[in-house]
Amino acid sequence: MLKPELTGESQRPIPMSFILLAAVIVHLPLLLMKLPLKSYDTNFHIFFASHYLHHWFDPWNTKWYAGFSQATYPPLPQQWVAVLSNLFGLDMAYMAVQFAAILLLVIGVYRFSRLWVGPRAASIAALASVFLGSESFLVYSAGQLGTTFAAPIYLNGLPFLFDWVRHGRGRSCLKATVLFAAAAAAHHATLLFGAFFFALPVLALALLDRENGARVSTSAFLARTIAIAVTVGVAIAFVLLPFWIALIHYPVTQTPIPHASRANYILSPQYGLSYFIVPYGALILALPFIFWRGSMVARLRPLLLGFWVAFLIGLGGTTPVGRVLLGRAFEVLTFERFSYWATLLALPFVGLLIAELVARYRTKAIVGLTALAAATCGLAVSWSTYHPADADQGLSVEPVAAWLNRDGHDQYRYVTLGFGNQIARLAVMTDASSVDGEWYSGRMLPELTSNGGGTLTSSKYFGKGGLDALRAILMHADHYGLKWVLVRDPSYDPLLAFAGWRPVDYLEDKTITIWSKDGAPPATPLNAPQIPPHWQGVMWGIFPFGSSILALLVILIPEKRRQKAREEYPVETGGLAPGRLAS
Amino acid sequence: MKNGILLAAALIIATVVLIVIGTVKPIPSAEHFAGEQNLLPSSSTPEAAVRNLGDEISLGHWARAYDSLANKTQFSEDEFIHDLTGYYANLRTDATLNSFEVRPLHATENDAEMRLTLHWATVLGPSESTRDLHVTRVGDHWAPEWPLDKRPAVPPQVIPVNYLRWDVIYPGPGDDWGVQGVEAPHVRIVDMRPVQRAEGVVILGELLNDDVVPAYVSVTATLQSKTGKALATEDSFDKISHVLLPKQVTPFLIDFPDATLSSVGSIRMSPFSTLVPASADPVIEIDNAHLNPAPDASLSGELMNESGQIVNVAHVLGTFYDKSGQVVWIGDEYIDRALLPQTPQAFLIHIPEDLARNVSSQRTVVSSFEYGGVL
Repeated sequence: MLKPELTGESQRPIPMSFILLAAVIVHLPLLLMKLPLKSYDTNFHIFFASHYLHHWFDPWNTKWYAGFSQATYPPLPQQWVAVLSNLFGLDMAYMAVQFAAILLLVIGVYRFSRLWVGPRAASIAALASVFLGSESFLVYSAGQLGTTFAAPIYLNGLPFLFDWVRHGRGRSCLKATVLFAAAAAAHHATLLFGAFFFALPVLALALLDRENGARVSTSAFLARTIAIAVTVGVAIAFVLLPFWIALIHYPVTQTPIPHASRANYILSPQYGLSYFIVPYGALILALPFIFWRGSMVARLRPLLLGFWVAFLIGLGGTTPVGRVLLGRAFEVLTFERFSYWATLLALPFVGLLIAELVARYRTKAIVGLTALAAATCGLAVSWSTYHPADADQGLSVEPVAAWLNRDGHDQYRYVTLGFGNQIARLAVMTDASSVDGEWYSGRMLPELTSNGGGTLTSSKYFGKGGLDALRAILMHADHYGLKWVLVRDPSYDPLLAFAGWRPVDYLEDKTITIWSKDGAPPATPLNAPQIPPHWQGVMWGIFPFGSSILALLVILIPEKRRQKAREEYPVETGGLAPGRLAS
Repeated sequence: MKNGILLAAALIIATVVLIVIGTVKPIPSAEHFAGEQNLLPSSSTPEAAVRNLGDEISLGHWARAYDSLANKTQFSEDEFIHDLTGYYANLRTDATLNSFEVRPLHATENDAEMRLTLHWATVLGPSESTRDLHVTRVGDHWAPEWPLDKRPAVPPQVIPVNYLRWDVIYPGPGDDWGVQGVEAPHVRIVDMRPVQRAEGVVILGELLNDDVVPAYVSVTATLQSKTGKALATEDSFDKISHVLLPKQVTPFLIDFPDATLSSVGSIRMSPFSTLVPASADPVIEIDNAHLNPAPDASLSGELMNESGQIVNVAHVLGTFYDKSGQVVWIGDEYIDRALLPQTPQAFLIHIPEDLARNVSSQRTVVSSFEYGGVL
């Protein structure tokens, strides 16, 4: 049974301008405070951006791993940071790009939610996205610019996919293709997994709705689906061609590195707090509603199933689902992003739930829900303070960079020990090259890939694998021109002393000791087969960034005026009381 | 309606079942963080009780490990932690427990003897320690008793210091170490021998500081093919004593993993030396050195720190000779406990079984490290 949208004072959607204003009020001050700089990966993205700033058409970066290809990671957000850094500087450019992604998410969530629920619930879902714990967690604690930049683009593209498959509008096909290509240029995994979690439910919805309004035959539906799948596939293959070439020639086969998001959140509750409680926040309270309403309303079932699978995988090692579905990729991926996607898929339900609660309880509901939203957002934002990426916040890398940059020290390579995630910050500031780095999928040095350690600077935290990797790289110091080890953690001193390294200088009131290896030759560029040829560098500089420019342009193409009698996005009541389902 | 209820029930039940499966039988990556324990860690057998203790130690859950002990009233939690990690800074202080093994030795209805072997990952490589635990039945479960090694008590004493020391006067402030612009100390390789082992080629040898000043030394070797092409270059890394006093000799060992001696035409040896300040302190005596025959061939003995300062880490390098005085093997061991003044500390260097029968004599040198000092 299909019901029309309810109209009435309490059923009006929240104006988009108000929602965007809420996003500005909540997130702009935090970004102006540069809070994401405390996160795990923000400096990593800024480091990549700094390379694009100086070498737009050359993805070979010699500052980490004695040389690695940045074509192993989709470049779009970092390229935007590089471009905007000419105006704001690197740090603030990062904040600007992240801010744009947050605003785009508001619009994307509204557009995506409109496929499933009415305008009021969709607008509430968009407002909820401002306070979404997983968004704040990824922005301020994880620093996952790629994921948080790609998801909004992808969400904005999905309604065009629906429109194309459902109505066959060519403009929508074009817009969907371009937006999906731009999303892939920002983060390939979002598109890959998004195809299963987001696109399949949208296609299923189009199939369910095919008899509603202008009828579409099953064959036309299939033809359009195949057509856009092929078109998008070709577009993404082309836009990210150097990435695919690198992936095919040098697949990620290194020894897996442990990541806490793969833990069982019940057996290891401290990780459950980080990767479940914080990202979901008050949304946990909505889980029963999501399962109930998603099951009862046939139209919402595809969305529920997409949510459910993302939810289960996002639980990491709490269930065997991720391991079974992803195989070896389970040991390479991290799972906070799956929780992020799950929460995005949950937002239309959240919009429905809130709309109904407000309709029924008015002010009481508004007060309660506002408190829950603030608590969820507040916990996720503050998580980077309570659970900082780098427990040692007192480290200043400027003097270290200055030391490396003077007196020809940068003729040799270096490695840091005990610098945490400040190594990316240091790499931005120094001209010297390191054998360490934070982009595990891009590293090719056998000493690092075969031991299962993460960054050398945090070797001891990776147990035997990390320490074996450090030992192996120090053994081959001469081969890499590795002459300097900058130590902020004296527990590594015995290794350096017995391996023949000697302290030669101190920095920062002797909290940093610089160890040197006598007789190490100056660093020479590695003649690695992974160096992308010039034509790939040109492609890398033009097409990913170009895809985003094209996306901006095609969005400006006006939609045809919709027919007055266009179908609403009806919600089947399933026999429940009228007014409880629509919003 | 009915379909919806069925779907909701199916999804919720499936979710709960999957969570239960993942918790009762965790996947390996989850086990990495949680240890081998499941939701209901059981101490229903002596082995399970010791295994749970190993899990808690490996996860750094000291309080829970301490609480699980049957004899915890006999010592404090701090003493328990220090017994595992050391009372003074040493290799174990920042080590992580990589793995552990539990082996039953003896069991009756109400008590059992279990051997707990702990494999630590230290910055200088793996380190192993073994404890025999008495496990007793307490009600419906078992609890291990921890055999605490009491903190060694060093009596107050006066130790005269009369060691030799060499200082280096640098030309000016800010000069980097090792850039003094003086001639390098004279060193020479007095013995060198390549050996084919299952893991690859190993080069054994000895280096002499032929000068009257101390030297920092290292040795690099390049394997060359029969056509003179360089095959691989490696250096002695930590299988050498890097600081040599005048007329001192150090053994060295250089590993070439996966290399085969038959493909090697020649070997280029490059000793490196430079002038460094050095001192003969701390003096570490080697007492009761004894060659133990196969099986389990080894060199055992005791180190005695004759100085008045604590040595945080000691490295024992043993050179093994055949009857003709040629080097047969070089082995080493890091002592993972701090050496206290005048307190003996045992060491044990393993000798490969196939070479042990050729060994007729040995020479041992010790180098040391103190936090805050230099080698």
